[in-house]
Amino acid sequence: MAEGRPPPNWVLLSLMLGAAAAWLTLDAVSVAANRIVPGTPHSALDVMNGWPALLLAVPMLAVAFLAWRPHDKGLRLSLAAVVALLTLLPLWLSAATSVLVTSDMPQARVAIGASLWLLLFLLLLALIELRTRLGLSRATAWLLLIPVVAGWWVALSLWLEPLALLREYQARSDQFIGALGTHLMLVGAAVAASLILAVLLVLAMRRHAGVRRVGFGVLNFLQTIPSLALFGLLLAPLAWLGARFDWLASIGVGGIGWAPAFLALLGYSLLPMVRNIHVALEEVDPAVIESAHGMGMSRRQVFLQVRLPLALPVVLEGLRITTVQAIGLTAVAALIGAGGLGTFIFQGLGQAAMDMVLLGALPIIALALLADALFGSLSECLRPGGAA
Amino acid sequence: MKSTALDARRITPLARARRWLTPLAWLALLLLSAGMGQLEWLFRLIEPDVRAVVYRRSGFFALLGQHILVVGVASLLAVVLGVGAAIAVTRPAGRDFLPLVSQLASIGQTFPPVAVLALAVPVLGFGTLPIIVALLLYGLLPIVRNTLAGIGSIPAEVHEAARGMGMTAGQVLRQVELPLAAPVILAGIRTSVTINIATAALGATVGASNLGDPIITGIVNGNTAYIVQGAVLIGLLALAVDSGFERLLRRG
Repeated sequence: MAEGRPPPNWVLLSLMLGAAAAWLTLDAVSVAANRIVPGTPHSALDVMNGWPALLLAVPMLAVAFLAWRPHDKGLRLSLAAVVALLTLLPLWLSAATSVLVTSDMPQARVAIGASLWLLLFLLLLALIELRTRLGLSRATAWLLLIPVVAGWWVALSLWLEPLALLREYQARSDQFIGALGTHLMLVGAAVAASLILAVLLVLAMRRHAGVRRVGFGVLNFLQTIPSLALFGLLLAPLAWLGARFDWLASIGVGGIGWAPAFLALLGYSLLPMVRNIHVALEEVDPAVIESAHGMGMSRRQVFLQVRLPLALPVVLEGLRITTVQAIGLTAVAALIGAGGLGTFIFQGLGQAAMDMVLLGALPIIALALLADALFGSLSECLRPGGAA
Repeated sequence: MKSTALDARRITPLARARRWLTPLAWLALLLLSAGMGQLEWLFRLIEPDVRAVVYRRSGFFALLGQHILVVGVASLLAVVLGVGAAIAVTRPAGRDFLPLVSQLASIGQTFPPVAVLALAVPVLGFGTLPIIVALLLYGLLPIVRNTLAGIGSIPAEVHEAARGMGMTAGQVLRQVELPLAAPVILAGIRTSVTINIATAALGATVGASNLGDPIITGIVNGNTAYIVQGAVLIGLLALAVDSGFERLLRRG
């Protein structure tokens, strides 16, 4: 710093050196002849004498080198290098697959190994770090992911047929689409219903202190019951209801299925939703309300034109928490026969078929991250004063 | 330290014991309920038609012990790692990592624990280890976030005053930053532990034996009494721990 040079960016430096080390030493892929036998691991250096792997290590070391004396142009170059690396990885995987899987192995499965997972993780961390350092907006970050997604898409649809995850998907694509649909339906229905109920509840709470006390007490209590147990506890009463009333049974209410899952999800979703809506409406600055009254606005106008717009970002935050939580909880609902992506997780665990577990778990994580990003962007846009 | 000693002298032992009454009452209720066998008549009311109404595959005390052990180990590791990481990135040497760590902490919160658990199984195999890892990862985030917030909210003047008094960096951390941030850190640990007590039940799906066992068995066999037994014990454990934390927080 004494010479006026910026200090090294230790974050990028260590991320990239770690990435290069993991990439060149750990196992990148494993190849199995079919679904049952365990795979043979291969390191990235085993593929084509290691040349492609070394070639990919060059940009990693280059970014590490640039991080030693970081400046704005260098950071932009690093960003380009990281995006390029993420885009090239599926191509490397395709090349590795074509070399390692010979024509006498029609059922061969290629699984992604530790080094490739770790590399993906570290590169994404580098992307986050670069985005923060360069102060890029959310929209730019999304644009940066387009070539990456495109690269994976092309590789998956053209060359990566033996990839274990893809084979698992193709073997049950109808089931997967169905499960995804059920998952999204359950989450959507629970979140929508909890939003409506929460609004009504909060309006009642604002009128009567008693409702507020009892309401929060009950909702807090609900959260201490483990999700697994709440799902289970609803089985018997709903089975009884389904058996008792034919019209309920005809819409699918019974011991197992969507009904207990929906009710449990609704119960869990209510607390974050009610809390956020309540806080959102309570915490609007009284001076603002007073000046609105002073301007001659009616109660109704104050609520619609002042309170609501100011409260909206906090409400969206509640929606974000609730949706992300519901996506995870719906996975557990598979245990009580509600369907959804959790089915693959628990079936896979039962059969010790890890590809199937991944087929359930990875989309759930992706959905949760996507919902998080979506609501995050939305509340950024709606914040008073426009996008930050 | 000195002020708490003074407080303790002013308050009679009886009053001090009374302050711990709520957590102790929950604990007593928890231990009593673990003797489920005595309550057979009660569960007979829930499930009049099945032969076995009390889960007997293993004792409730053993399951409770396992549950506490798993949550305890995971939480202890989460506290050490989380507070350690948050302290490291707020030191001058580690400050570069601060944005990344706080971003990671918020991203990690979106990972559903079931999915983390599912991903841990291929790497670690079935049993207790994957659930400890999943709980550790999930419990890390509230702790990191709160420690960062607690240390970050200390005004710069306080730092300057401490340095001006001739304190070393280590002394500032131990005698100024950590005591001031303690309530916020403790609140983070509380959130983390109470969430983990409920989440640990999921471990039963990957072969870890704990209070989730009766719940899973109950779901599979359609025996509501089993589910109630597991749920009641987990709920009581969560309430006991939570009220204990509340006491600690109110004193601090």
